[in-house]
Amino acid sequence: MNRVVKLALFFLAATSISRGAVQGSPHARVELLARQDAAKPGADLLLGVHFILEPGWHIYWINPGDSGQPPTFKWQLPPGFTVGEIQWPRPERMQPNKQLADYGYHDEVLLPVTLHVLPGFNNRTLAEVRVDAKWLICREVCIAEHAQLELSLPVAATAKENLQSVPLFAKTEKLLPKPMPRVWKATAKSTKDGFVLALVTGKPMSKAEFFPLDPGQIDNPAPQKVQPSATGLHIILKKSDLLLKPITVLRGVLVIPAGPAYRIDAPVQESIE
Amino acid sequence: MKKLRQSLLRAGLVVALIASAFAVKIGDPAPGFTAVDSNGRQQRLSDYKGKYVVLEWHNQGCPYTKKHYESGNMQRLQKEWTAKGVAWLTVISSAPGMQGFVTPSQENEYLKTMNAAPTAAIIDPGGSLGHLYAAKTTPHMFIIDPSGTLIYNGAIDDHSTSDQSDIKNSKNYVSTALQEATSGKPVTEAATRPYGCSVKYKD
Repeated sequence: MNRVVKLALFFLAATSISRGAVQGSPHARVELLARQDAAKPGADLLLGVHFILEPGWHIYWINPGDSGQPPTFKWQLPPGFTVGEIQWPRPERMQPNKQLADYGYHDEVLLPVTLHVLPGFNNRTLAEVRVDAKWLICREVCIAEHAQLELSLPVAATAKENLQSVPLFAKTEKLLPKPMPRVWKATAKSTKDGFVLALVTGKPMSKAEFFPLDPGQIDNPAPQKVQPSATGLHIILKKSDLLLKPITVLRGVLVIPAGPAYRIDAPVQESIE
Repeated sequence: MKKLRQSLLRAGLVVALIASAFAVKIGDPAPGFTAVDSNGRQQRLSDYKGKYVVLEWHNQGCPYTKKHYESGNMQRLQKEWTAKGVAWLTVISSAPGMQGFVTPSQENEYLKTMNAAPTAAIIDPGGSLGHLYAAKTTPHMFIIDPSGTLIYNGAIDDHSTSDQSDIKNSKNYVSTALQEATSGKPVTEAATRPYGCSVKYKD
């Protein structure tokens, strides 16, 4: 067998499990990729499920917003291997009408996960990884799709980057939210109908968008008002009708247009008005 | 038919104007409405004063709606609770040309085929009732108590998937809320994140 195993080994078209009205071909091509060309015992390996979506269709972020559902992966791994959580690139906001806003991805997205290879895994020459991927894909209508993807990697003492998949992994890395810079400060104040998210960054900022990680805290379709301050910015968010109890933290991703995205954990202070 | 449509649209406009003044909050009075059902009858929320009212947003083409209808789950709930005196109003806010849009006769055919048993099915193609309640998904469930207060807003259950096999392991929020409320207890989970397809509004 050829030792240089091509990485995007297995490629299965998704099958639609939707019955009735919507028929026809699936709306996404999906493949399982690896950033490295081999599984090195005791090391981490970056895998990713790559979605190439039909134009006009979208899939969802970890918090899908008002409708939809994020993709789920069920892994089948060699004994002793473990996978981490999905690393979610920054989402786009999608607003089909004035009543709702969703968070997700158009065109193409890679959802990386870290695979940890068992230290003593030397008794086989191939590491076979399988994933059962399920996702909801929507345009005006939604279809539940799924696929079984497989990848076999040679087990080797050294692992090099796979030249074919590296550009996509590198591009995706830039889209992953980074930890907030240490000198920044994020706090939130709860008002009667909303939250004022205050960011101290050191300089006035005029553009940013907040994507909540926890559903049911903010009203997704409500426009976010951004007010520059001397040392950063304030984002005024409307509370969700579903929020009945005070919250202690507003968690989310702050996206700076044409700039980076940051993970934000803003402790929430009840205002004393 | 055209005339009916025009008056419906006019009524829709009035409702929408009122809507901006209200938020649909638990513990607040549920916004009143007048709408037309699949049998051409007027459905007023005020007609049901003294009863519990369930509002169920519906789209027969949506995989999440299908989960609860093809399994018979929704029909079971409708039968159980209407038998106990609850008014169950299914609402279809899909706009013409959008998924789930039905004419009154198509809806009646569907109710018959599915053996569904709501008190009435409201056809809301202009979306005014949907916008009034800020209905986001199909299904999206609301419960109004006999005094006209909103006591539940959210999902049908705690498994936000389109898999029928999840139903048996799900906690049904609507049943739980109705059981609690009808036995004089406060609703423990009064607001949850509704899940499903987006409501196919015209705007």
